Amino acid sequence: MAKKGKKALEVRDLPPGEEAASSTTKTLVIPGDHIPIKIENSTGPARVRVGPGLHQEQGELVAVKAGILQQGSQNRWWVEGTQKRYVPALGESVLGIIASKHGEFYRVDIGAAHPASLPVLAFEGATKRNRPNLEVGSLIYARVSLANKDMEPELDCIDPATGKAGGFGELKDGFMVRCSLGMARRLLDPRSPILLRLAEAFKFETAVGMNGRVWVNAETTPHIITVARAIQVADGAAAGDVMRRVEQVLRTLDDFMDNS
Amino acid sequence: MTQRTRPDKRHSPNEMRPFYCSSALLSRADGSVRFKSGDSAVMCSVFGPMEVKLRDEKLDKAVVEVIFKTAAGMTTTKERMYERIIRQTLEASILSGLHPRTSIRVTLQVLTDDGGILSTALNAATLALVDAGIPLRSLAASVTCMIDDTGELLLDPTAIELERSASVHTFAFDNVSEGTLANMSTGLFTVDEYMRCYETCRLAAVSVQQLFRTSSEGKVRREYG
Repeated sequence: MAKKGKKALEVRDLPPGEEAASSTTKTLVIPGDHIPIKIENSTGPARVRVGPGLHQEQGELVAVKAGILQQGSQNRWWVEGTQKRYVPALGESVLGIIASKHGEFYRVDIGAAHPASLPVLAFEGATKRNRPNLEVGSLIYARVSLANKDMEPELDCIDPATGKAGGFGELKDGFMVRCSLGMARRLLDPRSPILLRLAEAFKFETAVGMNGRVWVNAETTPHIITVARAIQVADGAAAGDVMRRVEQVLRTLDDFMDNS
Repeated sequence: MTQRTRPDKRHSPNEMRPFYCSSALLSRADGSVRFKSGDSAVMCSVFGPMEVKLRDEKLDKAVVEVIFKTAAGMTTTKERMYERIIRQTLEASILSGLHPRTSIRVTLQVLTDDGGILSTALNAATLALVDAGIPLRSLAASVTCMIDDTGELLLDPTAIELERSASVHTFAFDNVSEGTLANMSTGLFTVDEYMRCYETCRLAAVSVQQLFRTSSEGKVRREYG
């Protein structure tokens, strides 16, 4: 399901005769609001695909979360909002902590209502004989391979396109910080101004989990702390205030480096 | 209509106290709101959907737990009753089928009680659920009114006014069907008095719904610019 998309609402994608939900201004919805698009017998260019925050009720679309109504390509609609609790969704990258080891799988805490299971064979090059060696408490970067509200979520550490690890697996060293899910989505944007600004100042690596966890590693501890702090102060800040706060954190690093 | 001023300087018996709310105050909770209505204030935190104790688990939906705590003193049967009313009202709003085998815990802490605390708590809980991103079918806006010993109707009474009450009525209305989600009435009253209270509260609930919208929108606009 499309989670990202910068396209503004386009009137031409709406079924004819329907009033446009909005032109270029952001439409804010709260739970219970009806979305003025028809989902049954849609005469639009494509079927309407409904994402997070929207619900179908008696042939009508209703918002169930507060946020900005967004439309992506192929008539995909969803509500862009932020929350803290993670609800697993297929294909999302998450950061998890190994909670226990079992014969054929690991149990992993991903911050959702239920712990996820990670099969020992879901790693690159893993066989019955050649198992990954993860300890309880290890941090892993994985992909949600099964997400169903009635079932326990499942993870794997293989990129399905290549069959290779592709960055998934255990994350050694570094530090993990928590943030809101909205913040995690914004950090995943390759044009994310926060990470771009920090990258101008020094080198670091991150792994952003859609479950509101971010792993950070850099050459020195003060640099790791700076990235972690920048993410934390930017989370929940007003949109216009984010970069000012990031600059402030960078100044603190400069002061520290000058004094030591 | 009498022109007598009410104890908290309100001029009309049909006037609500000023209310406001601030959200995301607690860092550990998934959603939190402080709702103030005049001098009545409630802090609400929401956790969930999270792991549920095996004996409470429901296979087809989320379990809603409500904990109501007074500003001081022990939890009595009155608080237990409030918990039950709030839980049943929220269960009507929450799309609990979307999160089976989980628990949604709503904790309400009264900060100050100056009458209409059940309404204040319900409004706080509704906004905290929105803040936590729990999928909701509708929003429950709650209003309290009373009939005093002279038969006059007073909307949103304070603790001092409640001392002279013949009956107290708390209603909750949703924003989709504009129907009643919950009603608690105590005291002796006639059908006519009840209907007057119902109509007054129904009209007043519109302004509470308005606050729900402006506060949710304010939060989103702040973060997304």
